[in-house]
Amino acid sequence: MIQETMSRMERFEAAVAVERPDRVPVMPLITAFAPRCQGITQGQAWRDVDTGLKAMMDTFEDLGGYDRLYKPNLFWPMIGGVFCAAPVRVLIPGRQLGEDELNQIDERELFAREDYDKIASVGWNAFWKEHYQVMSGGRPMEKIASTQNRLLEEYIREIEIYHGMDIHPLFGAYVDSTIMAFSMCRTLTQFTMDLYEVPGKIKAAMDATCDDLIQNALDVIKRTGIPLVFIVLERGSGFYYRTDIFEEFEWPYLQRYVDAFLSEGITPWFHFDTDWGINLPYLKELPKGKCVCDLDGMTDIFKAKEILGGHMCISGDVSAALLSLGTPEDVEEYCRRLIDKVGRGGGFILTTGCECPVDAKFENVKKMIDVAKEYPGNW
Amino acid sequence: MEEELKRAFLGMKRQEAIDLVKAALESNTDPLMILGVCREAMEEVGERFETGEFFLSELIHSAEVFKQVSAILEPALISRRAPETSGSVVFGTPKGDIHDLGKNIVVTMMRAQGFLVHDVGVDVPPEKLVEEVQRTGTNILALSALITPAFVSMKKAVSLLKEKGLREKTFVIIGGGVTTDLARKEVGADAQTLDPTKAIRLCRQYLERTTL
Repeated sequence: MIQETMSRMERFEAAVAVERPDRVPVMPLITAFAPRCQGITQGQAWRDVDTGLKAMMDTFEDLGGYDRLYKPNLFWPMIGGVFCAAPVRVLIPGRQLGEDELNQIDERELFAREDYDKIASVGWNAFWKEHYQVMSGGRPMEKIASTQNRLLEEYIREIEIYHGMDIHPLFGAYVDSTIMAFSMCRTLTQFTMDLYEVPGKIKAAMDATCDDLIQNALDVIKRTGIPLVFIVLERGSGFYYRTDIFEEFEWPYLQRYVDAFLSEGITPWFHFDTDWGINLPYLKELPKGKCVCDLDGMTDIFKAKEILGGHMCISGDVSAALLSLGTPEDVEEYCRRLIDKVGRGGGFILTTGCECPVDAKFENVKKMIDVAKEYPGNW
Repeated sequence: MEEELKRAFLGMKRQEAIDLVKAALESNTDPLMILGVCREAMEEVGERFETGEFFLSELIHSAEVFKQVSAILEPALISRRAPETSGSVVFGTPKGDIHDLGKNIVVTMMRAQGFLVHDVGVDVPPEKLVEEVQRTGTNILALSALITPAFVSMKKAVSLLKEKGLREKTFVIIGGGVTTDLARKEVGADAQTLDPTKAIRLCRQYLERTTL
């Protein structure tokens, strides 16, 4: 066991500042895994917030504890809403899905190509105030807003419980990048067609959306009190689009996000799903030691270290397949490699590549955490 | 027309491609010939993707154009001989997963390159996947997934193929964000890729090997 000389938060903050903490911080993104781990169904954890909370707490304890908890329960912020993300429909276990199935997003067109002009003229929030009821088949906007608010209040209550136990939830707010928000509202295929066929309309709509998304996230952070914003990025990567599209529709807005959040003392956490390899050099333009580049296993994390090492904290990227199908020895070998190579000199957080899969083997997740606590590494 | 139509595909000009196809049909050009030009254009899109000149977005765009153009050609094609196929595939997202974006892109790319694809949809039980392989007599089963619970269904489908004596003559290929080579070994598939054009190439190579 490595002698710990820092608190959990000090360790996390040192890594974000690309400094060398006493050991590499570790924090698996656990949601659906917790109920499975505690022998209850996904449906039970979704229906009863206290049951979900207990499953998360017990799993945290069973795993021996780790440096930060992404979120205290299953429901927030996975429920779509108009605050900070595309108001997608989430299919919930025990309701639209089988009792022990995994919650999933039902991606479909939420607005039409013609609506870009409307968004450009009134902005994101005003558009949804008017459009939500039409899009949802008559469900009033006030109802979703009220549900969102109730869940946020529940989240705040849970944050307080955890803080009393020296456990620190990560999400201050959760916000989609501009491409993510629009792609989820139009679907990947239709948004891609739009990019080639009506790029000017998209640009105008994004110009009118960016500040609303930033302000919505700031409003949520004011209430949660956690100065970290989890920015969901998947659809704008080089996996999908050439860099000229990224440069026009993602990067300028992401820079605006970063400026706005940093000026309020909020850490931007870039959740980069898919392969962002060709986009990583842009991140060097952002201030040093202020943001986190969180990778899911599709971007080469070792190359990311070559590009961003000493400039931006990297987190990642123990894959879902490794956690569910590998052995503890496989997990240990990969985590040691991450600590040695990506952890070298500091600025690294050991996390799961996106979410810990529901069917991960307990011993594999435990091993990932233990390696961070026990392996002194060559860094 | 041929060069213009190809240029429309490669230049991501949907309306131009549609107008050209409609004009060609009106001037009594053989619909099979028009379809052939579209397929050639799609093959070039695939080649440019493999060399890194095109990105996934160009595959998505051209696949969508191909789908729309095929729908325009379909009534005219029905009365002609069937176009030649490169092979047939049963394609689905296994039980436990409802994602279909990746599947739909690859299905359209495969169709554009002459495969007869039996798309069985999402959240498909292993029994249904294998039934479809039997019913259609195809020898390729393609499975796409974005979450790990689909691995169990993939593994069961492979096991059912064995039970029914179909495993040796069925090429099983898996893809989708969560799949890795470790997953391929675990479920007992023959190939795994995240790249749509590579998936098509692997299926073609299998067909070439088995028909020699």
